[in-house]
Amino acid sequence: MTIRAIWSHEEILGAEGLTRRSVLRTAAAGAAAGFAAPFMPMRSARAEIGGELQIMAWEGFQLDAEGKEWREKHGVTVDVVAIGNQDDVQAKFVAGNPPPIDLAEYNQGYDKLYIEDLKIISPLDESKIPNYNAEDIFPGFYKRPTWYKGGKLWGVPWTWGLNSLIYNPAAMAAPTSYTDLLKPELKGKIALVDDTTATWPAAVRIAGLIDKFPNLTKEEMQKVFDNLKTYRDHARVIALTYGDLISLMVSGEVVALFCGWSGIPVETGKQGVVTRYAIPTEGAVMWCDAWFTPISVDNSDTAHDFINLAVDPAVQAQTAKAVTAGAVNRKALDHMDDATKALFDYGNLDAVFKAAPLYGIPPRESDTYATYSDWVDAWNEFKVG
Amino acid sequence: MNRKHAAGRWLASPLALFMLLFFVVPTLLLFVYSFWRAHTFQLEVDLTLTNYLKALTTAIFYSVTWTGLKIGFITATISTAVSYPVAYYLVFRTRGNIVLYLVLVSWFMSYLVRVFAWRTILGSNGIVNSGLQALGLIDEPLSFLLFSPFAVVVTLVHILLPFTLLLLVSALRDVKVEYLEAARDLGAGLGATFFRVLLPLTLNGVIGAFMFTFVLAAGDYVTPQLVGGRQGITTGVLVANQFKLTGNWPYGASMAFLLLALFLFVYFLVIQLTKVARLAPGSRFHDAA
Repeated sequence: MTIRAIWSHEEILGAEGLTRRSVLRTAAAGAAAGFAAPFMPMRSARAEIGGELQIMAWEGFQLDAEGKEWREKHGVTVDVVAIGNQDDVQAKFVAGNPPPIDLAEYNQGYDKLYIEDLKIISPLDESKIPNYNAEDIFPGFYKRPTWYKGGKLWGVPWTWGLNSLIYNPAAMAAPTSYTDLLKPELKGKIALVDDTTATWPAAVRIAGLIDKFPNLTKEEMQKVFDNLKTYRDHARVIALTYGDLISLMVSGEVVALFCGWSGIPVETGKQGVVTRYAIPTEGAVMWCDAWFTPISVDNSDTAHDFINLAVDPAVQAQTAKAVTAGAVNRKALDHMDDATKALFDYGNLDAVFKAAPLYGIPPRESDTYATYSDWVDAWNEFKVG
Repeated sequence: MNRKHAAGRWLASPLALFMLLFFVVPTLLLFVYSFWRAHTFQLEVDLTLTNYLKALTTAIFYSVTWTGLKIGFITATISTAVSYPVAYYLVFRTRGNIVLYLVLVSWFMSYLVRVFAWRTILGSNGIVNSGLQALGLIDEPLSFLLFSPFAVVVTLVHILLPFTLLLLVSALRDVKVEYLEAARDLGAGLGATFFRVLLPLTLNGVIGAFMFTFVLAAGDYVTPQLVGGRQGITTGVLVANQFKLTGNWPYGASMAFLLLALFLFVYFLVIQLTKVARLAPGSRFHDAA
């Protein structure tokens, strides 16, 4: 008996216009693409808003509630890496092959380091951030050198506020001076926090050298830490992060913080513990955070739209209320309640920033002043005691 | 090379390759970096001992390294001493593993959860202080329970004891029970049986368990910071700060390798001490004929 194949191999290929050579060629190309794909540079932009957005943000500043509608509308999933310290941010991007983070924040003192020294920022496309415009944004936050250099927009400032004294009103009277923390009954009940952008300027302020900050000589820097030792020795702990500090205040381990972010009362409030922030007579320390797209940005269009959302008037008002911070968009005032509006003198922001300027960070290199490295070494010695 | 050896090499080669690529090569790279310089996160090729000299002439390096060594030594000693009788019980006194499982179940919990659990237990308003105050034994919370070396050791022993126990169980399982019976038959008491038979036979396991726990505890810098307060700053913090804050990788690498050299010295010291104490296996307890 003879068995005949219904279709021969060549008949099948021929019916589809294929030849053995063309199939092998296509298969080889596919295999080569498969092996090469992981090494191909990532596409820096997608044509639409959506997908996964990876951001690095301070706790409470990731627009969880404020961005809910936007996320649902565009089908965006936001993955957040919390920032414990501003220096956590550059650590992600300085090594080769940084992670595909689309957005991060930088404190006003880090502009030169990120933009000029480390070059870890990808310039923004202003046309994709229409809410950031000269008409709506307060002049102090619109295209100032901290965020706009060489004709390019590197960061969009979106929130600002005060780092100041935080205390538990049920455990102590409202402080009017940093020295109130040194009362005997508060021994072992206060904390400092390992956030150098807050603690260093506050320490410099109480040492009476704030007009010189961040350019202090080594002797002046040492004087600052010598003066701060009194608070350290009176403290229970130097908390690692604000999250750590919040858990300590909620558990009652500490009742006051030397200097911290003004949104802490909101976070302790969520856990049923009332805390308040107080601006002592020595003054507070101003901060301003800006969104930027790192060099590893993958979902650029969505990142730009997120930034646009962050400076939207209604979102600005919600954020200001949620974290007791200031807005950069003047139209946000129309959406604020009276209490939020009263947080800062929006009618005279120049005076606000004159009383509490935005400070930079110590220079990375200098023959005259204590460098950032000197400050880190001194801070480590201070923590060890 | 016979087939058995060849098969063994083939089986081990994937892991060996992995270790070579992702441990040995990076470690060698870091070692090379430790002789370079850095300038605002930019590495500059050089061949200098500046980083090592800077670390060795900085008081804080000695201070935090000593803190780490103390934490490591105390944690390793307590873990090993507590684990040994438990391991003996598991190997020679019981057939079941329920005690072992109870110890190992803590591994199912995240490392950080366990650390924060101890913060809750030892805190001013925690279980211990609340209990002691309720019993009228103290009027004020005992502040030394948390943010102290005590808290660090308690937490690290809790975390590392399962490792020590497993290593000692493994070592004790190699000991034939007949040796212990022979020692008793020859008139050796419990102490003599332990020091002259059991301990020497399990010494490699004991040293392994001790050093494993010591290195992990002395090198840890998360737990000491979370529960140790100011006494919780160890060398790891200095190293991390150089990599994260100042971008001075060479300086950070030099401190890391100085710590490695110190650990190797401690290991050498432990071996020598066991020889001096005549605990090493194979030691003769009488003159050779």
